[in-house]
Amino acid sequence: MIGVAIDESVDDVLPWVEGVTFPVLLDREHLLTDLYAISNVPTVVWIDERDRIARPNTVAFGTDTFKDFTGVASGPHKDAIARWARTGEVEATPADGGGVEDLTDDEEQARLWFRVGAWLRRTGRVDEAAARFERAVALAPMDFTIRRAAMPLVGTDPFGAEFFALYQEWTDAGRPYNGLMAEGEEPSSS
Amino acid sequence: MAATTFAVLAEDERSVEGRLDADGRALIALDDLPAALGWELRPEGLCRGDVCVPVRDRTGLEVDGAVDLVAVGAALDRPVVVDAEAGVVAFGAHRAERRRGVAEHEAPPFTLPDLEGNPRSLAEWHTKRKLLIAFASW
Repeated sequence: MIGVAIDESVDDVLPWVEGVTFPVLLDREHLLTDLYAISNVPTVVWIDERDRIARPNTVAFGTDTFKDFTGVASGPHKDAIARWARTGEVEATPADGGGVEDLTDDEEQARLWFRVGAWLRRTGRVDEAAARFERAVALAPMDFTIRRAAMPLVGTDPFGAEFFALYQEWTDAGRPYNGLMAEGEEPSSS
Repeated sequence: MAATTFAVLAEDERSVEGRLDADGRALIALDDLPAALGWELRPEGLCRGDVCVPVRDRTGLEVDGAVDLVAVGAALDRPVVVDAEAGVVAFGAHRAERRRGVAEHEAPPFTLPDLEGNPRSLAEWHTKRKLLIAFASW
């Protein structure tokens, strides 16, 4: 297992990785979300011993803590991972028709404006940063790695009212996610 | 337009001398290109190590002895944002690498720091089955 934290600083990550024994990397610049077209977290990618993607971006949870909220059950996906780890066999999944779309031009641009915003914020130019985050969100309003990730960077609670507004919008939009849902997920349960 | 210092955000952050002009170009001295982006202009095209990308429109790339980073981005098939007001030029991922991932299921290589700041690459775990988990505090 390789964990990649899509976060601004090591301090943001440490409380979440207590007791974690696998390597955890920090992706402050959102390079991985750009390269792997990741639109939400947690996203799991199965990569085999030949560095082929055995199962593409799947939104899945390590525990059932968020199950009631998201409708994603962790159990079946974890079982499938365990079987793959043991045997190398990947069960038939919706991946057999692709699963992950390439980023649109707007989604590419959103990532760059987000990155410029984060850079400005780091140099203390918070108002200019906020304007870039707004621009990024306007380009990719349903991308949690843009819109929700920007919340703590402009002093908004990513678990507060703005997040619930985003969650409602996202649900109304049919819960778009660039990849597969874990087993047990009902994509249009709204 | 007077020379200024601006930031280049690509695989990492670099500081470069150059000009961000009114036409949206980001012009730097040709000799500074390797330091700015890790690529250099050779007769065969834009090169990084043994890898060369042919350049179709060399006249668009070189402007009065300078090189336009926006044109370099286009030649490398990477999206570019120039923010002249902020003094920064940002490069996105090579589209070809992402497409190999999404369309051909070939895992794009990456290098990121671990929590102690040591660079770690996907290639370190070659020959193993890997579960890559992107997560966040937000």
